[in-house]
Amino acid sequence: MPAADRVAAARDRLEGVRSWLERHGLSLAALGTTAVLAVMLYLPVGVVFVEAVLEEGRPTLAHFAEVLTDPFYFGALADVFADPLAVGDHLASLAGWLGAISVAPTLAYPIPGLDLPVPWLALDAPPVRKGLFGFTAYQAALSTVASVAIGLPAAYVLANYEFYGRRTLRSLTILPFVLPGILVAVGFYSMFGRTGTLNSLLGAVGLGPFAFVETSPLAIVILAHAFYNAPLVARLTVAAWESVDARTVETARSLGASRRRAFRDVVVPQLLPAVLTGALLTFIFTFMTFPIVLALGGLRLATVEVWIYDRVQRLAYGEAATLAVLETMLSLGLTYAYLRYESAQAGFSRAPSPTPKEPLFPDLRTALSPRRLAVLGYGLVALVLFVGPMASLLVGSVTDGAGFTLDHYAFLLERQLEGASFQTLPLPAIRNSLLFGLATLAVAVPMGVVISVLTVRAGRSGRIVDALAMLPLAVSGVVFGIGLLQGLVFGLSLPGGWRLQLTGSVAIVAAHAVAAYPFVTRNVSPLLANLDPAMVESARALGASRTRALLDVELPLVRSGIVAGAAFAFAISIGEFSSTVILASGSESYTMPVAVERYLGRRSGPAIAMGSLLLLVTAASFVVIDRVGGGERA
Amino acid sequence: MKRRTVVGAVAGGATLGVAGCLTRDGNGDGNSNEGDGTLTVVTYPSMIDEENAAGPWLKEAFESEHPDAELEWKQLPDQRINHYIGQADGGGEIDADVYLGLNVDDLVAVDDNLADGGLFRELETDRLDRADRIRDGLDLGDPHGRALPYDTGYISLVYDESEVDEPQTFEDLTEPAYEDALLAQNAQTSDPGQAFLLWTIDAFGEDGYLDYWRELDENGVRILDDWSESYYGAYMEEERPMVVSYSTDQVFASAEGNDLTRHQIAFLNGQGYANPEGMGIFEDAGDVDLAYDFFDFVLSNEAQAEIAQRNVQFPAVDEEYVDLDEEFDKYAHVPPEAVTVGYDRLRGNLDGWVEDWAREFASQ
Repeated sequence: MPAADRVAAARDRLEGVRSWLERHGLSLAALGTTAVLAVMLYLPVGVVFVEAVLEEGRPTLAHFAEVLTDPFYFGALADVFADPLAVGDHLASLAGWLGAISVAPTLAYPIPGLDLPVPWLALDAPPVRKGLFGFTAYQAALSTVASVAIGLPAAYVLANYEFYGRRTLRSLTILPFVLPGILVAVGFYSMFGRTGTLNSLLGAVGLGPFAFVETSPLAIVILAHAFYNAPLVARLTVAAWESVDARTVETARSLGASRRRAFRDVVVPQLLPAVLTGALLTFIFTFMTFPIVLALGGLRLATVEVWIYDRVQRLAYGEAATLAVLETMLSLGLTYAYLRYESAQAGFSRAPSPTPKEPLFPDLRTALSPRRLAVLGYGLVALVLFVGPMASLLVGSVTDGAGFTLDHYAFLLERQLEGASFQTLPLPAIRNSLLFGLATLAVAVPMGVVISVLTVRAGRSGRIVDALAMLPLAVSGVVFGIGLLQGLVFGLSLPGGWRLQLTGSVAIVAAHAVAAYPFVTRNVSPLLANLDPAMVESARALGASRTRALLDVELPLVRSGIVAGAAFAFAISIGEFSSTVILASGSESYTMPVAVERYLGRRSGPAIAMGSLLLLVTAASFVVIDRVGGGERA
Repeated sequence: MKRRTVVGAVAGGATLGVAGCLTRDGNGDGNSNEGDGTLTVVTYPSMIDEENAAGPWLKEAFESEHPDAELEWKQLPDQRINHYIGQADGGGEIDADVYLGLNVDDLVAVDDNLADGGLFRELETDRLDRADRIRDGLDLGDPHGRALPYDTGYISLVYDESEVDEPQTFEDLTEPAYEDALLAQNAQTSDPGQAFLLWTIDAFGEDGYLDYWRELDENGVRILDDWSESYYGAYMEEERPMVVSYSTDQVFASAEGNDLTRHQIAFLNGQGYANPEGMGIFEDAGDVDLAYDFFDFVLSNEAQAEIAQRNVQFPAVDEEYVDLDEEFDKYAHVPPEAVTVGYDRLRGNLDGWVEDWAREFASQ
């Protein structure tokens, strides 16, 4: 066979492989996704959850009965669970409670430390025992409201105005996400504490000092939750806002709608799924919050997750698993309800042509308009809440009891240069974090997109699959960690004398990807559902394979969602602690948050310096990711 | 989960890029530390990673004393003793010879969850030259004799003398003078938190401790998560003037250049709660002789001084067997009387005590 023919044959073969791959690309990706999920999610979680229904190896529902009827966990509801058929008694006690509510006018002093009476209606209701689950849901609901309230104005400003540093600021909104809990706690105390930065500033204008943390621990905890989650709401909403088709607004305006009316009827429906997604994720996250509640609020504010952690520490896996199953059922139930709503929002969007951004402060007159002043006021709030704690950390890394010092960084440098192999070194931690982050991107983005594509148009069954795909968010981190330990680190015995074990870097990346892909899915699904199905159908009719249509038609149109999801995936990976520390134990695959934890001994300086490095490295990577991903069309 | 299986080979995840493995039972290379002159010692991070940690010094000194031996440090896994209980329970193989940093409650947890006297060997103290140097009252009280103390800390109160007077007794803390003054830690999640709880159980008994805590609660005690958060977050930001901490607090404070008025030590009832730390040898350790050599070395004069000063704890041996720096003596305070709740009282009780206490405080 002449050489030219051989080359041609080889080319044909390659072409054949390529077209086969293209035809089956989606199925292959789905298979890969399923495999990762089976080993890294369903196996570890299953290993623990099964403990909830086993007693000495026999199936039982005793654990559930015990937890559901325990007033400590379910407060007033426990009686109902204990005796669900005694409807008359339950109604009587409810009526008795309703009858005891009284409303009376009174004077309240809402501002701590100021004798400023405000007329107020005092609602006097007899206390209801909320139980641990009730309180957890209560603080999660408050945190959700706060996060949405603080996150939406940020999304509004970032999506509609142009100002110097906007893109960088947008990249940095993710930072709170990656901070280990201990650093957030220390940052919050040094910002809002009695001798904190805020009190120094207020003191300069003759106010205070106020004991913010001391007098209202719940408020501080909710603020800390908003610190973590408002950026999440903001980022999700900005991505949706920028994919709004400006022409739809123009059409509405030309048909005589006022600006406000056009916004309400055209823009809001396109933003609502994103806002509600943010609210849902925030609720789920703050429902499973730990250790930040204890660190700032104390044991009074303990949540279900605190108890799960304690049960796991005491090796009471049955009770821990039961609590975790109940927690998960609640989260998945909420997710399913939300997805039913989301899929009802069928879209018709063809191609986003983003609204042009106005300059924020074009001239002095505009700068003094009420709207711009409100933006400025919000900026101040954001400065105190977001920049404050992080700046306090950076300051803390260069000070000690005696004032300015570079000792903490000197320690890191010295450790890097002279540290022994069994010690934790800063550079490998940074390198591992970045590598795991990139690898997580490479795995989680395709996984998330595949799940979106498979579920968006699949009707009711798709919604159930989609809700189940949110499992990583709904599973307690403590339980997931224990499952990884028992299922993968210790190894599982398989039939035939085989043993499955999985640790080290690959396992860490897989665990991060499992934790991160739901963010990709939640960022991409709403946009994908909004696309006009006719576009894909035309492409298919013209002979494109499903994969080709996805790559050439759909994905470019939902690019902003993919980039937003990718940013989250990277952030989740950088900030992940609980599974990483389990999978990295005894090896050199430690990451930055793990290093922070290990440097935190009886002196906090080195840990805070490491935490500052974590902040700086993450900030730099995000600016790069957003630039490379072209987070928006210029 | 409880089914014991034949030990399979463990391809350790110690190198980057180990993806995991499927192995057949029985073709493993057995224990990787079988008397080859390497002693693998597992210990908590601050023994290794702190500034001036004792770990690197111990390794160097031990290896120069035993030229053909090698000491290999391993970070204690995040789950601490539970990691090894789980591993032993699941039939996995423990890849360490010695555990440096055992507490009494670790041993209690082992015996509550595995076979009595499991996981660690009973120590033959006659194989040690220096076992008799250990101070009285530091014994971990293990009926199976599995651990030898190498240092101890004392839990006490740390207070700011410019804000409150020194509290003398537990009852003082319930007085109006100390309203909203005390920071403690959650006994579920924190070692000093649990130690302080046990101290109140020692003082008021099993039946009285919850009443005492209710009084503390009425007086506004604040229970935070962990020692680091309570100390670096709340206490150092002057949220409150008193915190449950260690009696060696001034050693750190003076090193950090802090003013010592905020670092005064109070021993309630003239006591401090002793938290002795022990070392034990795992049941299937490879090189037991070398482990005993290491224990003898740890109890030597110089090692005791270095561990105490670098770990900022107190030596486990009598004063005549250790020479401490004057600086350390000046700032590290020893309580007039040391109390501790021993193995026998903890056994079968500890979890219940902590849970009753926590349910009392958690959100209702």
